[in-house]
Amino acid sequence: MLQLNSVSAGYGAINVLEDVDLSVEAGEVVTIVGGNGAGKTTTLRTISGLVTPSRGEIRFEGKNIAGMASHDIVDFGITMIPEARQLFPDMTVRENLQMGAYRSGAQAGLKQRLDEVVAMFPRIGERLDQRAESLSGGEQQMVAIGRGMMARPRLLMFDEPSLGLAPIIVSQVFEVIGQIARTGTTVLIVEQNVYQTLKAADRGYVLENGRVTMADTAESLLGNDHVRRAYLGI
Amino acid sequence: METVLQITANGLMLGGLYAMISVGLTLIFGITRVINFAHGEFLMVGMYIVYLITTQLGVHPYASLLLVVPALFVMGALTQKLVIERLRNSDEHVQIFATVGLSIALINLALLIFGADIANTPSSGLRHSVGVGTVGVLTGQLVIFFSSIVLVVGLHLLLTRTRPGRAIRATAQNRAAARLMGINVSRVYVLTFGLGAACVGVAATLVAPLYPASPTIGTYFVLIAFVVVVMGGLGSITGAFIAALVIGLVDAFAGYYLGSDLKEVAVFGIFLLVLIFRPSGLFGARRNLSHVSP
Amino acid sequence: MSTRTLSLPRNRDGWRAPAALAGVLAALFVLPVVIDDAFVYHIFITICIFAGLSTAWNIVGGYAGQLSLGHAAFYGIGAYVGMMLVNAGVTPWLGMFAGGGVAAVVAVAISYPCFRLHGPFFALASIAFLEVFRVLALHFSDVTGGATGMMVPLETGWMWMIFQDRLPSLIIAFGLMLLTLLVAWGLRQHRWGFYLVATRERESAARSAGIGTVKMRLLAVAISAALTAMLGTFHAMYLTFIEPGSVFSLTFSIQIAMFALIGGIGTVFGPLVGTILLVPVTELARGWLGAEAVGLHGFVYGSVLVIAVLFMPDGLMSVLSRFFGAGKTARDEDAAGTPPAPTRTQAQRAPIGDVVLQAEHLDKHFGGLHVTNDVSLTLRKGEVLGVIGPNGAGKTTVFNMLSGFLKPDSGRVSIRGADGHFHSPASPGDFARLQLGRTFQIVQPFAAMTVEENIMVGAFHRHPAVADARRSAREIAHRMGLARYLDDEARGLPIGGLKRLEIARVMAMEPRVLLLDEVMAGINRADLQEAIELVRTIRDSGVSIIAIEHVMQAIMSLSDRVIVINSGEVIAEGAPEDVVRQEAVIEAYLGKESIDAAAQ
Repeated sequence: MLQLNSVSAGYGAINVLEDVDLSVEAGEVVTIVGGNGAGKTTTLRTISGLVTPSRGEIRFEGKNIAGMASHDIVDFGITMIPEARQLFPDMTVRENLQMGAYRSGAQAGLKQRLDEVVAMFPRIGERLDQRAESLSGGEQQMVAIGRGMMARPRLLMFDEPSLGLAPIIVSQVFEVIGQIARTGTTVLIVEQNVYQTLKAADRGYVLENGRVTMADTAESLLGNDHVRRAYLGI
Repeated sequence: METVLQITANGLMLGGLYAMISVGLTLIFGITRVINFAHGEFLMVGMYIVYLITTQLGVHPYASLLLVVPALFVMGALTQKLVIERLRNSDEHVQIFATVGLSIALINLALLIFGADIANTPSSGLRHSVGVGTVGVLTGQLVIFFSSIVLVVGLHLLLTRTRPGRAIRATAQNRAAARLMGINVSRVYVLTFGLGAACVGVAATLVAPLYPASPTIGTYFVLIAFVVVVMGGLGSITGAFIAALVIGLVDAFAGYYLGSDLKEVAVFGIFLLVLIFRPSGLFGARRNLSHVSP
Repeated sequence: MSTRTLSLPRNRDGWRAPAALAGVLAALFVLPVVIDDAFVYHIFITICIFAGLSTAWNIVGGYAGQLSLGHAAFYGIGAYVGMMLVNAGVTPWLGMFAGGGVAAVVAVAISYPCFRLHGPFFALASIAFLEVFRVLALHFSDVTGGATGMMVPLETGWMWMIFQDRLPSLIIAFGLMLLTLLVAWGLRQHRWGFYLVATRERESAARSAGIGTVKMRLLAVAISAALTAMLGTFHAMYLTFIEPGSVFSLTFSIQIAMFALIGGIGTVFGPLVGTILLVPVTELARGWLGAEAVGLHGFVYGSVLVIAVLFMPDGLMSVLSRFFGAGKTARDEDAAGTPPAPTRTQAQRAPIGDVVLQAEHLDKHFGGLHVTNDVSLTLRKGEVLGVIGPNGAGKTTVFNMLSGFLKPDSGRVSIRGADGHFHSPASPGDFARLQLGRTFQIVQPFAAMTVEENIMVGAFHRHPAVADARRSAREIAHRMGLARYLDDEARGLPIGGLKRLEIARVMAMEPRVLLLDEVMAGINRADLQEAIELVRTIRDSGVSIIAIEHVMQAIMSLSDRVIVINSGEVIAEGAPEDVVRQEAVIEAYLGKESIDAAAQ
């Protein structure tokens, strides 16, 4: 479904990703793990068009989307749920969710989609007319996921969904991710919370210093010393 | 007492006028974070268009709305597209000088074409006084006052109730997230700049019958507009409206009690105090503080 | 902004730039004398005055980066003070100093509260002040003559700066311009000039280098205003008549700034170049087309300005310096290839000594968030203390409190000074004076300065003289492997180089305590070992180090002791190899179920 072929990308003169190869099959849950500054977030930002790759190709269902504008990439059914939620703080929860279905292709059936998201997150349903900023961190994360779902994505990418959340909320978030995956949506997760993520995933990639150093099934990565070393250096 | 009432009435009328001119500026700043130093010249250009239409075609000044508003929209949109957009990643001083340069060029272009003499748009009955008892204002002023309310409400509805409006707000609140929603951010900026300039087009149409156009007319009004925008909290449309009324009243009262030559000291004095001591504006949220160091 | 100037040739072919400058200056004086035409004289006098004004403006607008659009206020003060004194029988030769003094005082008073304002808002405030001055000048007509303006008395001669001939006016204008250029050039060569540019480029890094940023800006404002006012006094005598509208004029302010921008903002001679190019064009246009074309010169100005910022945002000087720099030879260091990696002799390390830095019960809230909760730590002399913890744990906040950038809500930081006593400094400057240096997680190079100048900003801390600071900076650059980049602007360095530069600048301060915030992040594997060696060398020279680091390999091999921060609290402390095996630490890094998983 998604394939990165020797992609390099960065900010200005600074190269963050070097020769990254990565693939995601339809219906899979894939995770990218790695220490701080390894380039995990940049990988997602490059796929979604926020960062333009300096080299390599990104194929989505065969079509090279590298270098396309982010608003065009959204139309392919690729949605990213950014780190730290990134809601529109002064907008209501309802408006935030509506923004998720901004592209014209997604406008039809907006009401129905809103109902689906509310059904998935009843807590949000009670707060539709509150300003997004007034919600708790956990609720905001749910809105962010809901907003991503509004676009009916075929590939949903999560950037550090557990960051800054209480452990109990984190396990809720992972439950929701599991739920989304079961509906057939393909999922790509970037996380610090290695073990929980690997347990939810089918396959995983280990990213170090902007390079993929390991790729394997989630199960074998779970027991792998190398992953430990990537994080703890022991 | 009657004097006070009359001054208050004058102040509110002035306030309406200031609001009319300022909403476009605050809209542009709130979304694109660009201070448009050529804003006053947009007004000037609009007023000259009204002058030309009314004197050449002999129509009512308000009829020129149909042409002035789209013309100014295009002018604003082009400014964003051809100048500001290219400077998005440049140093701040470069952005400032771009609109300053535009302002100088437009003023002097008007001087070249129309000369330094003032250009009077026919008043078409808009300078008639209406009033209650001894308190009187001009019909044209009343139209401006109420139009400013309509404009503020209209903009508010546009921003909250329409799809492009929501895209504009989303872009202002979180640019990166807006891009992830599939919003074409540069198009939103062009649209916003156009809208802000179109607001000035409305202002120009209503102002022209009351004030003679001159190449430098914009310079005076734009300084007041900056005062209003900063005081209202940068980017806040309702804040700008209230601040405009306050400044209108200050202007009227200072003009009466301090003398017309010193009223500007009062207005700019307040501006400096707000800028220095309450940079978020009298009604602004703390979030708007990107322009000051802690 | 480019700081390369025609005045700083350091290469063998560098004679071209000074020769060109001398030629231009000579032409400015000689041409009108040779042609001997009243109009030509007028143009050259105008060039000299505007070049002076623009150069003076550039000290604030360029060096200090405070975009004033109200400089006509200082010009006007000079003009009016001079004019009033002349009418009271005081020669303008004294009047110009009186005007300069008044302008400097006024400038400091109005700028001080405005320094918090950034970019366009500083510009707006300066415009508002200018308007206030104009209105006041109109209002107090008893002193200023109001709208009718003021005339010079009908006396001529050197005493009154008013002449029948044009030559004496040219001599004075030329002299004042030379003076202004000399001040601007001297300031840029001086330590203060480095401080000003550093402050403009990165205020926090400048503060951590011990620069009193507000003081420096006020100094710039005072010098600039005084020079502007002196030129104003002379210009008033030259014009023989002044009135508020033309003197306290926004258009005039913009013109002054615009010449600098087009010539090259922040460069020493850019304003001169911009003025020489633009004044004749518009004056000639005005002369030829006369009254029919009122507004033409303004239209040209405005259009040129827009086109210039779009296509030549760095000004003419960057184009010129490319030309003059074309024959530049490579530095000697280049020929020698890459510098030898820092070597270290194993046996030198001194034993760990007494406590040099102590943080007690640091607490900090941001809004409702408790970012650090009762954090205490100590650092001993010659020790390396590693600080680790997951993203957002509050490590950088702790650093900001340890270096004076943040005040803790409660708790205390104390440092042992050179006198052996403990002190509790309050500001980054105070911390710097106690020889605490820090790097920033996101590197903070002074982008428009060369690598050498960047390091010199730190070196001034110990070596106030420019030559000493330069020597020290070069030596450190060699040690850090930056020698080949010395003349390059910092903005062009690769990330590894920027990280080194960040450390080099701090090392130039010769700190006793060094705070390193993720200096290993983002550098490639090959350089990592070198970077680790570098930190060891620094440690062995007796510096005590606290290092925030995510690169575990570095932390494990460098640290004598490690503390782990999670959610703003210290959750573990001890020898590195023990700490990373503690359950709480693994959990903080890898998540709750990691321990069971690891056990599988």
